[in-house]
Amino acid sequence: MEHGATPYQGWRLYHILRELYRKPASGLGTSLTIIFVFLAIFGPLFTPYGVNEQIVTSARSAPSAEHWFGTDNLGRDVFSRVVLGAREVLVLAGGGTLLAVLTGTAIGLLSGFLGGWFDELVMRFFDSLLAIPALLMALLLLGTFGPARWSVALVILIVYTPIVARVVRSVVLGVKVKAFVEASRLQGEGLGWILFREILPSVLPALAVEAALRFSYAIFLVASLGFLGVGVQPPSPNWGLMVKEARTYVSQLPWTMYFPVGAISLLVIGVNLMADGLQRVLRTGR
Amino acid sequence: MYMLIQLLKNYFTTSRVAILMLVVFLVSACAPAATPAPATPTPEPEAQFQGVLRVALQPIVQTDPAFISSDSEVLVANHVYDYLVDIDQANNIIPRLARDWEISPDGKTYTFFLEEGVTFHDGSPFTAEDVVWTYDRLRDPAAELPTSTLYANISEVTAEGDNTVIFTLLEPNPFFLYDLSDNHALILDSGTEDPSTSFNGTGPFKVVNYIPEDRIVLEANPDYFMEGLPKLSSIEIIFFNDETAAVDALRSGQIDLVMRMSIPLFESLQDVSGITTLDIPTNGFDLIRLRADRAPGNDPRVVQAFKLATDREAIFQLVQQGYGALGYDTPIGPLYTQYFNAEFTPPQRDIEQARQLLADAGYADGLEMTLHVPDSGGRPDLAVVLQNQWAEAGINVEVAVEPESVYYGEDGWLEVDLGITGWGSRPYPQFYLDVMLTCDAIWNEAHYCNEEFDQLVEVAGTTLDEAERVQAYNEIQRILADSGPIIIPYFFAQVAAVTDQFDNFELKAFAGRTDFRQVTSSP
Repeated sequence: MEHGATPYQGWRLYHILRELYRKPASGLGTSLTIIFVFLAIFGPLFTPYGVNEQIVTSARSAPSAEHWFGTDNLGRDVFSRVVLGAREVLVLAGGGTLLAVLTGTAIGLLSGFLGGWFDELVMRFFDSLLAIPALLMALLLLGTFGPARWSVALVILIVYTPIVARVVRSVVLGVKVKAFVEASRLQGEGLGWILFREILPSVLPALAVEAALRFSYAIFLVASLGFLGVGVQPPSPNWGLMVKEARTYVSQLPWTMYFPVGAISLLVIGVNLMADGLQRVLRTGR
Repeated sequence: MYMLIQLLKNYFTTSRVAILMLVVFLVSACAPAATPAPATPTPEPEAQFQGVLRVALQPIVQTDPAFISSDSEVLVANHVYDYLVDIDQANNIIPRLARDWEISPDGKTYTFFLEEGVTFHDGSPFTAEDVVWTYDRLRDPAAELPTSTLYANISEVTAEGDNTVIFTLLEPNPFFLYDLSDNHALILDSGTEDPSTSFNGTGPFKVVNYIPEDRIVLEANPDYFMEGLPKLSSIEIIFFNDETAAVDALRSGQIDLVMRMSIPLFESLQDVSGITTLDIPTNGFDLIRLRADRAPGNDPRVVQAFKLATDREAIFQLVQQGYGALGYDTPIGPLYTQYFNAEFTPPQRDIEQARQLLADAGYADGLEMTLHVPDSGGRPDLAVVLQNQWAEAGINVEVAVEPESVYYGEDGWLEVDLGITGWGSRPYPQFYLDVMLTCDAIWNEAHYCNEEFDQLVEVAGTTLDEAERVQAYNEIQRILADSGPIIIPYFFAQVAAVTDQFDNFELKAFAGRTDFRQVTSSP
């Protein structure tokens, strides 16, 4: 892979977006992602009801003009809860992913560049972490941390840091033998300068793709944990928890199940399509 | 580690294979001595015993009859062991191991005449000594069993010959026969060393295989003393942590009977062909209780604020969909027709007054608490509705949903400040008062202590004058509705769904006491 051949500096956000919209699939994915991010930021401004607002008189009603997605067993507006859930899911998944990307990048850069026993130690440790399935690992960690929102983000950090670090490290291994790195090393630049100013730009394209992929997995993980009832507590509008609660009522109130399930699917599909597009754009430039 | 196992268990609930693997793993890791027999023994078809009833129940934790409490634990014990006397569906006392009895005019001496020729599963004969041994164990104050308070009134239990037992009481107890049929009072073989593993009862079924967390298989006892009973050849009790999974298993024909499920699940089974649904009213209820022995619950104004902030009618409609009965913060419910008095109701909802009381008590900026709730029977829904109602009055609770076995495990439910506990149905109300609300009650989860109240409970539980008892129960209802640190928003309906293959299924208000002896299977 010639990462050094596509200098990061040439890429601007609008350029990337334009390239993403060139293909219908990645365009759709990007649009979906943008819609959900929009909901997460501005959702509370236009949802007609609160997250735990219970309208006793219209409990268990089917979708209508009054309640677009119907109401659940406790008289809560499903539309409002799905929209408000976007922030819950995106903040946890996004925050966790961001933390994992930052930590993973730092460790991956250092480990790849330094090599030797340090690299060996870190990578074998990460290998052993990766041997445990993500969901099992998450359950174990949540059992230790106890159910709190920040612990879900922490779980994402711990589960995804090794993966990000490995990707970053593999790119670093290819870059660190290049002449410009050698040159700055001979100039007597410090470790920080070499890692973050010389090597990091070459890693960024691969990192962006990896981050987008991790993000889509993190959304799924957040929803899965919600569904299993660990990590988040009612009345959180976490879509996974909404699905868990709706299971009891699925034969009586199917709409309470359909909409949060639809939201999870659309967001995960959207982010995945966008990540695919991002990979195409950043790797090949087209 | 325990918490982790619980989490894993919940995670794997829907996958029986995974649970089996987990159990095998745990068994092999923790207890190499215990070698489980093959999972499903093939029952020998006999003329008298026909059909295998597969029942979905929550996993059992306790197997020693003295400690059992959940529906599933009691149900298992009720088929492996026998009670001295039993209670029928209409709350009447009926014979079981005691075929007849006499009560002295002063109400202090009870003489029981036992069935003859009864044997335990290991072949040893059942005698009066076994009854004496069992009740002596249950009432031993040093042993600190859940029943020691209940039976503190017994001065002596003596055997007269092999087939007569005499109970002498310190004070007359009008409910004594009901007490004798307490869920824990299953007759064990005298001298049983470890009642949690012996499973040596006289009951209609024998335990042939118990795999913790997975299933327990019972087989008809061919030597059962009641002629023609049981009818089934075996009962397989398969453990489900998740009632939705249990109902799915019922729909797909993997099990035959589900008891105790949420109302919406029950409603979803109404029109399914091949499945019969049953529902009966009960005295069981969900109890929301605030610890009264420390802040903030030790301030009567806070208790008052909780009561004023709660809208019981809305809760009843939302959580129970109107099934069962509305509650009035007392365990003496409308089904106890002779004792219930509709005059005594908790204060009407008044948010302003609740806020004012909280401010007076020093919580002007709101009261922050954690509401602990077991993940069963729609209780998380109740918690969320309460959270919403209370928030209006400035009581901000964080809901903590815990698996039932975590909530009840290690006595956590007795410690927390604010919790929701489900209480099963009992044939008479004195039980709840004795074990839950008097100062030294064993399950006094609210840590409530009121001398006037205790005296009334004492009178109600001892007087032989029915009018005096009615009076005491009225006073008790008044006190609890006005100032008790408890909220009882509704009484449950008991529900069950069974495949049409099985007949003569008689659901009891306390599901665990449901009797499978009469159940028949038509091929």
